[in-house]
Amino acid sequence: MTSRTGRSAGFRRVLARVVLVQVITLLLLWILQTRYTG
Amino acid sequence: MHPVNWIIVLAYLAYVVVDGVRRAKGTDRIEGYFLASRSLPWWVVGLSVMATQLSAVTLIGTTGQGATDGLRFVQFYFGLPIAMVILGVTLVPFLHGAKVYTAYEYLERRFDAKTRSLTSFLFLLSRGMSAGTILAAPGVVFSAVFGWDLMWSVLLIGVPTVLYTMIGGVQAVAWVDVKQMVLIVAALLAIVVVLLVQMPVGPDDALRIAGATGRLQVFDFSFRIDETYTFWSGLLGGTFLMLSYFGTDQSQVQRYLTARSVDEARTSLLMSAYWKIPLQALVLLVGVLVFVYYIFQPSPLLFNPAHESQVQSAEPAQYEVLERRYQETLGAREAAAQAASRSQDTGDMAGSAAAIERFLQADAEAQAVRTEALDLAERVTGESSRDVNYVVPRFVLGELPIGLTGIFIAAVMAAAMSSIAAELNSLSTASVIDFYRRWYRPEASDAHYLFVSKLATGVWGLFACVVAIYAATLGSLIEVVNRFGSFFYGSILGVFLLAMVPRARGVGAFVGLLAGMAAVATVTFGAPSVSFLWHNVVGAVTVLAVGVLLSRAPRQGAAVEAPPAGGGE
Repeated sequence: MTSRTGRSAGFRRVLARVVLVQVITLLLLWILQTRYTG
Repeated sequence: MHPVNWIIVLAYLAYVVVDGVRRAKGTDRIEGYFLASRSLPWWVVGLSVMATQLSAVTLIGTTGQGATDGLRFVQFYFGLPIAMVILGVTLVPFLHGAKVYTAYEYLERRFDAKTRSLTSFLFLLSRGMSAGTILAAPGVVFSAVFGWDLMWSVLLIGVPTVLYTMIGGVQAVAWVDVKQMVLIVAALLAIVVVLLVQMPVGPDDALRIAGATGRLQVFDFSFRIDETYTFWSGLLGGTFLMLSYFGTDQSQVQRYLTARSVDEARTSLLMSAYWKIPLQALVLLVGVLVFVYYIFQPSPLLFNPAHESQVQSAEPAQYEVLERRYQETLGAREAAAQAASRSQDTGDMAGSAAAIERFLQADAEAQAVRTEALDLAERVTGESSRDVNYVVPRFVLGELPIGLTGIFIAAVMAAAMSSIAAELNSLSTASVIDFYRRWYRPEASDAHYLFVSKLATGVWGLFACVVAIYAATLGSLIEVVNRFGSFFYGSILGVFLLAMVPRARGVGAFVGLLAGMAAVATVTFGAPSVSFLWHNVVGAVTVLAVGVLLSRAPRQGAAVEAPPAGGGE
């Protein structure tokens, strides 16, 4: 299904995944920093 | 280097040329040569986009930066996913839908020929120079490490790249990029495994030692415009830089113009949004682990072997004193690190903290001795002695098992070649489409344009090699590459953003572009402390503001059409 702006539902799903992956990546980097930096 | 490693490197070089040339099938038309007839799947385009961005500077310089400065450089990429999403819904549909060969071609349709020509010219100027710099980066390191003349190092990488790019066109570039990207990631992962296996302490202790030196400090939330690597400069300045790079730089735009559809073009860009930050963190982590590795193994005082031998022969006594002091401090540093690790294992937290304190003191002393040695090297050689780009190559050649060394050297070549190939390909496209076909020969056969395009690729390749040979004396390679781009990038992005403002006109775009570059020049020279990441913001905002203002001004002769003053109702 495509919205009026031409963005498909598939693209929106991918977009949601991108946000999720970034949050997880930043969280992992934050854990690495707080666990090992004195 | 062991003959097995050389065989791996030569086999790799032969393979990329053969594979690239094989892809020449179907490129007998200009659309096939420059755009692969818009037929490539998203994953090929996505890997090609990533391989283009990842140059030898990443494998040599960024890993070295990880070893000396830690992970904080990763903040530079925090704006990338945001930029990719914005591009996916704005510029990508515009450019892919417009069926253009170059991003600048679109600007003529939207504004006028002079805006197109100026932006394309700026691209040719900055990318032409940067192709040389990107080629110089591994060339300089290989020359110092293997003792070759710089010219041969440059030609070893440059000639195969020019060959397959010239013959195979964009198809060769994209498909070879896929294999090069796989090789690069495999080499990085293999090095991490080897480092962890060879390290005399466990991964947890290794990270604790690295963390004690601040190398695992990723986030810096301070808002300082004179600091390049902070969370905010990465997020805001980085977004603008990545928007400019991926949205307006032909070397990247041409990658996703080869995609089968707008959706596949968008998805290919989102691949970078997924993987760029983790990949960059992996690259920096390799450097951090190399730093920890050298705590437990003999570490050279100077990592640049050419400088090391020059200083040894010019100032033998002074160098010997420095070397002895360095080894003493390294001994103390290693003992403290071992003690910290043992205390940690036995749960003696107070002992561990005391050992870490001793370790940091010894590390500071070791750094002080190294600074003295680097100053000495600078005096003796008359060159910059900054050796951050030599830390990882020296480790790879001295410490990795046979075979893996060859794979890493091939990966460095792959990283360099993938970036240079994309640049040569896009430089040729912009030269032929935006200048040769637009101004000199608008009507000619496809065969003629194809011949001229191949010739242009070869000429740009030659130009890149010449620049590489003379660019060797430039300072930090990473900074140089980024600086070349940031001078024009923000302003060009401003023109593309202006193109999306419905009432914007050509005069606003052209004058806005000039104003944007003037603003960046003013900031660069007037306020040198402002980090270069903010230059893109300054350029883009100036172009937008000036462009919108001028576009709102009445057209020449429009006064007669305008209602008389005070003649409202």
